[in-house]
Amino acid sequence: MSTDVSDLSLMQISDSFFPTGLYTMSNGLETLFSEKRITGMDELCELIQTNIVQQIGPCDCVALSNAYTHTSSNDLEKIIICDRSLFAMKLVKELRESTCRSGTQMIKCVNSFVTNDTLSKYYDMIKNSQAPGTHAVAIGVASNILGIEKQKAVLHFLYGFSVSMVGAALRLGIIEHIQSQKILHRLKPVIAETCDKYISKSLSDMWQFAPEYDVIQITHEQKFSKMFIT
Amino acid sequence: MNKRIPRIGIGGPVGCGKSMLIERVVPILAKKNYQISIISNDVISQEDADRMRQNLATDQGLLPENLVIGLATGGCPHTAVREDPSINLSVIEEIEREYSDLDLIIIESGGDNITTTFSPALADYFIYIIDVSGGDKYPRKRGLGIETSDLLVINKIDLAPLVDANLDVMERDAKIVRTNKPYALVNCKTDEGVDVVAQHIIDDVLFGQPPRKLITNVE
Repeated sequence: MSTDVSDLSLMQISDSFFPTGLYTMSNGLETLFSEKRITGMDELCELIQTNIVQQIGPCDCVALSNAYTHTSSNDLEKIIICDRSLFAMKLVKELRESTCRSGTQMIKCVNSFVTNDTLSKYYDMIKNSQAPGTHAVAIGVASNILGIEKQKAVLHFLYGFSVSMVGAALRLGIIEHIQSQKILHRLKPVIAETCDKYISKSLSDMWQFAPEYDVIQITHEQKFSKMFIT
Repeated sequence: MNKRIPRIGIGGPVGCGKSMLIERVVPILAKKNYQISIISNDVISQEDADRMRQNLATDQGLLPENLVIGLATGGCPHTAVREDPSINLSVIEEIEREYSDLDLIIIESGGDNITTTFSPALADYFIYIIDVSGGDKYPRKRGLGIETSDLLVINKIDLAPLVDANLDVMERDAKIVRTNKPYALVNCKTDEGVDVVAQHIIDDVLFGQPPRKLITNVE
């Protein structure tokens, strides 16, 4: 019988039951829906794909991957550099705050059931406002410590983002439950390709460019009536 | 290590008077020099948070404006206070870092159903509020909020004759369903009974302690 529980750890952090608050985010989708710019499955799929290819792939995934590597060598200083770099790349205030809240709670949660010096020091630095605690970097650190392979950690992050967007669309009534699964299936090649493309990039290769999308999310921040944080 | 500030969770159905209860209780506590922050989980807008901020902070000056915080919950009000309270907890931790002298944090749930409860990691004390316009059957229908809350508040008692609700029946059933746990009949419009709720908070959450700021000043 195998005693390797790393796949179970992956399932644990991938479960929507794992507390990171991602369900409070629509990443601007709510605004696009209210302005009737996203009305169905195809547009939604394209939006998520654009976000993966233009933002979270080249930006968050690179930070995640580098944080993962530096966790292997317990190099907290370099983990913090990944964290601060990713924080600086997030142009939308509510998005910055939300990613840090999700990341902080993830590290707090994993730190409650795993004993690891780097993890507890990283958590202390977040609590003392010395590290932002971005979600992608938190996943990189936590995944490494839980024995999850780097590639699976990156796939988890991209898939989790997609689920979060699809879930928001479902609650907004843009799509129904079967369509949500069709979208997730359709996104699998994009997720896999993005993972392959950015998993070995250095931090200095990090980029993101989706200005219209940034503006949409900033518009969402100003909305009076909304279900989602951003 | 930040000091853990006592926390109250207030839950209840849409329109039962959660925000109004907060707007009535906070002045009573503030008059006794207790310093409070409010986190309002709204289902669809920032309206409740904006109104409380305007009334309690801007107009009455009972707390700083930035200590009334509105949170969107992605259409999942119960998840935000129970299964995954991580966003609320993150905000609370930020408050505890910045304002360690606060005496109390009040967390208002978005309007939900009678199965609402608060995660014990989020709230130390749970107030569940209903109103009589739902009918006098409400308490005996039970539900986790009505049964397990630390304090059950029955609001809008002035409306009882208008909706054929018998307050005696509601009281009787509340006693049966909740065994020995307290309940309060209130009318937030006139403040009737609100002092009872405030006293429960002082006795059962703050344990009769004077405001922290006063303690700090004496030290």
